[in-house]
Order: sequence, then structure tokens, then C-alpha cells
Amino acid sequence: MQNFISEQNLNVLLEQLIKSGKRVVAPRVNSGTPLYEPLSASGEMDLKELPRRSAKEAFFPVCEDILSYEKVGLNVKLSDVDPARFPETVLVGVRPCDAAAIPVLDAVFSWDYKDQFYLERRRKTTIVGLACTSSDDACFCSGVGLSPSTTKGSDLFLTPLEGGGYVCETYSQKGEDLVSNYKELFVDTTSAKPLPLAEVRTETFDLKKVKAWLDNNFENSYWDGIAISCVGCGACAFVCPACHCFDIVDEGAEKKGQRRKSWDACGFWKFTHHASGHNPRDLQPKRYRNRIMHKFKYYDDKFSQTLCTGCGRCIRVCPVGIDIATIVEEISHK
Amino acid sequence: MCENENIYLPNLVTIADIIDETDDVRTFRLIFQDEAVRDSFSFRAGQFAEYSVFGAGEVTFCIASAPTRAGYIECTFRGVGRVTESLRNLELGDTMAVRGPYGNSFPIEEFYGKNLVFVAGGIALPPLRTLICNCLDQRDKFGDITIVYGARTEADLVYKRELAEWQERSDIRLVKTVDPGGESSTWSGKVGFVPTILEETAPSAENSIALLCGPPIMIKYTLPVLERLGFSDDHVYTTLENRMKCGLGKCGRCNVGNVYVCKDGPVFTARQVKAMPLEY
Repeated sequence: MQNFISEQNLNVLLEQLIKSGKRVVAPRVNSGTPLYEPLSASGEMDLKELPRRSAKEAFFPVCEDILSYEKVGLNVKLSDVDPARFPETVLVGVRPCDAAAIPVLDAVFSWDYKDQFYLERRRKTTIVGLACTSSDDACFCSGVGLSPSTTKGSDLFLTPLEGGGYVCETYSQKGEDLVSNYKELFVDTTSAKPLPLAEVRTETFDLKKVKAWLDNNFENSYWDGIAISCVGCGACAFVCPACHCFDIVDEGAEKKGQRRKSWDACGFWKFTHHASGHNPRDLQPKRYRNRIMHKFKYYDDKFSQTLCTGCGRCIRVCPVGIDIATIVEEISHK
Repeated sequence: MCENENIYLPNLVTIADIIDETDDVRTFRLIFQDEAVRDSFSFRAGQFAEYSVFGAGEVTFCIASAPTRAGYIECTFRGVGRVTESLRNLELGDTMAVRGPYGNSFPIEEFYGKNLVFVAGGIALPPLRTLICNCLDQRDKFGDITIVYGARTEADLVYKRELAEWQERSDIRLVKTVDPGGESSTWSGKVGFVPTILEETAPSAENSIALLCGPPIMIKYTLPVLERLGFSDDHVYTTLENRMKCGLGKCGRCNVGNVYVCKDGPVFTARQVKAMPLEY
């Protein structure tokens, strides 16, 4: 279903959602850094820049309690988290690269054992995507088969119009419900034209060829060459919309505290370090190889999906200039 | 499993017994505090669990007791890391927690009617002990049972009480060995490395399954011996251990190539292990 909404009415929609008690998460500038964060007023939304971190944290926070414990004499009292802590949420202004990562993440959190921390938030969230009208040199969504107008992952998708306002397309029941609940804010027609989409220069990589090379080249000196400069800071994983590796740690004293699930990164040496001192990935190139393998082979082997949406954040933040797009492109020509 | 349950929530257990196996290796016998869990908890030999010490975190071990012995589970560990050191500080009657069982298991039904050759080194006996005890509890279902077990020194052998029992039984052939220099004047076992002693023991590969657990160096030198003895790679089983956190196929660190030890393992055949990249 296609509709239109004016800039002003989008703000009214956000205000009404906030007033109705929903959590509205959208790009907003926090101390100079654009991030997907809960809004307290619609005016805080700032759609100009791609947020520094991805939208995954609306479902999979940087760090969250998974239980709490309290020791009483010889006994321990365990407390589960309160499911009410996951509020009904509308995630607005999500870039196509971020929205597309969410159905990819659904696979790992819902196969076999169900991770309710992720899935409950997912169930209670409506995703409003936003077509990209600007890009930079690091953007490579087109390289992995997506585009500035990819609607994957979006329940409702907004395409900016010349002179303001948006085309709204619905892609799920959740999206349709959002429009029908606030139908007075939407109109059927408009004379305005959509803004030109961002241009992403990367050609589409042949991901089948990439995978075929990865299938046969776990051992290859190529890995040393590309990752010898990696300092193992983990920044690439932390800004990635699809990276989902996590740690489980206790925080607090022996008597009382929380067990928490927090983001982790395969670039850290400790990630696979055994207590015995043995480390199967003892050198940085082996750890970087795992990053590429996980994204373009293992996740494909397991879930038939690619664990990368070409947002380019890892390229922007890498302190030593490692460029995953160049690497994948190179591999595709091997 | 309930769809809405918190998969990271463990079950509380009480430490019902503590056995010091060696100077630094300890076994806990654990009893579930919730009666319903005690009755319903079941597992298969080879599966692992996540053990909690509150305030320190979780650690992964195999379940070392046999599934045929209900009412409790056991874990055996060496205090080498932060969590295992905290485990060592717990006392009889203390509360800790367990979630599991996780992972695959030994396909024990496929071993019915076959001879079993267990080969273990040092602290790696626990993943085989669960299976050995399971088989001994169903002794008539299996053929000959041979156990070749070695450690650096006599003091490093774990489950000494069970070794003594197994030594007494006429339906088990137990060959104990210590590395050269690891024997005392009263040592009655063999002296030599496990691969050498296994070759000397020369169990028949005919209608036999080999089950192998030990440090990587022992595995490396034992596999060719088993091959020379005539064991095919499909008839040799081992377990892999990689650092784990969730145990549920989500946290992303235990993989060996595209194989997740927590879900696809920890039990693998030698053929499967040989096909993996060296990432364990």
C-alpha cells in the first residue's frame, strides 16, 4: 500500500506515538554523535547523517541484564528479568543497510534455542525505514546486493520527496497497522517527486564466487597480508549492524549482582583464549579471517544469508584503514 | 522447552560432595535444588553444561557423571581460570548453578554389541568417564572394554577410586600408564606415553569403536596408532573443547571453521575432525 506523509505530519505521528506510551527510537544527535536513541520529542529526530552505530541495539543492546542473583545465607535467589521492560517501540528513520540487517539477525537469535531478549523486542517493534539520499565513499550496500531503496527489514518504508514529506510504503501487517491507526496523517496522492536516491558506486560483488574462494582458502597467505595491520580494537564489530557475538559476564559482588550479556568481538585475542593458555586464533590475521569467514561463508552455510549489509561503518572507524569492501571485491576476483 | 523462557537462566544446585582428584583437579557432585528439575533433568553421555559461580560467571565443562546414575550430576575441573578458581573456593553445601545439557552426545546405541577402546590422557578422562560408567551400567550391551589411561605422574591420574574398581573387574581391561619419570617405587602400571602404550596394548579393531580424549599433542600422536591398529576414522570418536559462553549456538566463539562445537559437537568422529581447519 502506498501513501504520503508530510514532514509536519511525520512529526505529529512521532508526538502521538510518544504520547501513547510507545518508545520511539530514531536518529538523534547526542553530544555531536548521531545515534539511534529514544526520543522525548519529535524535534530531536535528525535524519541528515547515518547514525554512528547501527539500529541493532534496539533489539540487542550493547549490554543488558539477563538475570540477577542475591545470596541469602547458603541459598541464592535468582531473579529473571521482567518482560515488561521491553516496551512497544517504533524505530523510525532506519537506513536500508541497518533495516536489512535485522532479518539477518533474526536467524541466529531464533534458530533452535530462542533468545527472548532479542525476540521479544523484535516482536514489539515496528521498523520505519528511510531511503538513502546521500552516501559517502565507504558506503557499499550495492556491493552486497542491496541498494539505497532496499526495503528488506522495514515494516513501513519512507522515501523523501522534493520539498519535504515522504512516500510511505507498507511491507507488513505492523506497517499497515501503523498507517491505519493514524490514517488522518497520511494522504493518498501528492504532486511532489521523490528525491534522487544516493549513488553508491560499488558494483555488486559476486558473493557466490567470494564464498567459493572462502570454502577452499582457510589457509592462505592472503589473510596475513590483509590483516597484519589489524590492532584488534574490535571497533568494526561494535559499529556493525550484523555482528552479534556476545559475552556473558557477572557484574557485582559475590552476595548480589547481575549477569549481563554484552557485545563482544572476534577481533579480541581473548575471544577464543582457553584458560589453559592455548588460543586457536592466536594471531590477529586468524581473527580477522574469522570475521570475513563468518560474514561471507559460515553464516551463509548455516542460514543462507550474508552477514554484511554494506553500511561501510567498519571502513569509517578502522584506525588502520582496513577496507572490507576492497577485500571482498578482491576475493571475488580471485 | 517453553517458548518464552529465558534461555540463560540456570538451575540452582547444591554441592553435595567434593572429591579432590589431584592437587589441582576437583570433582563436585551437584544436586538440583528444585525437585521438579531433579526429576526431569536428563542428558546423554558426552553432553556439556554451563556451570555458574555467582559473581564470577559461567564456565563450560562436560557432565562427568553417567546419565544412568540419576539424582545428581558431577563436574571435574582444574582451577586454572578466573571462574574455576572461584569454583575451587566453594564449599560443601554451597549453592551454584547449572544450565544445560547442551550439545550432541556419543551415539551409544550404535556401540551396542561392539568392543570399546577408551584412550584418555590426564584431565581429559571426564568426557569419557561419563560414557565408561554408562557402558558399565549396561555392561551386557557391549563387547570387550579396554581403557588405556595415562597421565604425567601417578599423582595426576584422576578418578583414582574408580580406576581401582575398574582394575579389579574382570570384564574391563584397564591399562594405566605414566610418563617416564612420573612413577613411584610402588607403581604397578606401565611407564610410557599413551600412544606408545596403546600400540603395545594393541586392542583389536575388529568390531570395535575407539573413544579418544586428551591434550592435543596426545591426540596428534594417538590417531596414527589407531590407524595402524586398523580403526577407520569413522570408528574413532573424540570431543573438542573451545572457549564457549552461551552454549546455545549464538555467541559466536566456539566455531572451528563453520562447525559450532556447542551445537554440532562436542562429540566428533576422527573423520569429522580431520576435515576441520586447525582452529581448536
